[in-house]
Amino acid sequence: MGKRRINNNIRTLRFFQNEMTQQQLAEKVGVTRQTIIAIEKGNYSPSLELAFRIALVFGAPLEEVFSYDLEE
Amino acid sequence: MSFQEKNVTVSLVNFILILGFYLIRVFQMIQGGSFNSTNVFRLWGIVIALAVLVTIFATILTHVVSAVIQAIKTKEEPRLEDIQDERDKLIDLRGTKVTYFVSSIGGFLSMLTFVLGQPPLVMFSLLIFFGVVAQIIGDISRLYLYRRGF
Repeated sequence: MGKRRINNNIRTLRFFQNEMTQQQLAEKVGVTRQTIIAIEKGNYSPSLELAFRIALVFGAPLEEVFSYDLEE
Repeated sequence: MSFQEKNVTVSLVNFILILGFYLIRVFQMIQGGSFNSTNVFRLWGIVIALAVLVTIFATILTHVVSAVIQAIKTKEEPRLEDIQDERDKLIDLRGTKVTYFVSSIGGFLSMLTFVLGQPPLVMFSLLIFFGVVAQIIGDISRLYLYRRGF
């Protein structure tokens, strides 16, 4: 099995949610803005619960927010 | 920089200062010929008391100063940024693991001084030295994880 990493579309989804800021998203899911920045950059993989909370904010299924892709 | 990062930075600076103070005092004792159990154990007490008190006051000060800076910057009512989310907790756990690891190695090395025929005072001096160094390395690893992510 090839090496995989967790990617996300949070930046794009934020843009389509009336250009929601990182701070607003952080407040909605109960984490710090630094954690949202780290997730967006792919530096931190959130817990399953946080991933579901983020997906709930965007009203999208989990697979639309996060994907588990093969590393290039 | 998040509140947690500021807190870790302040703790790091505190422990570097405490280590500096400890080393200066130990060298002064060695040079002055007053390296005896009474002075070493008094220094132990001072270092531990300093570590506890300075950490508490520094945390309060960091809270107050960051609230004031935030209020000036945003012109909003200051709010306490004391939430510790899952990433903060993970970083803290990893930092604690590093601290314990360095502290265990330090404890082992301190015990080795007995094998080398050194008096117990040397062991006790090294024990507190490695305790403070372990805290410093733990804080550095926390800052590294905050910057690099994991």
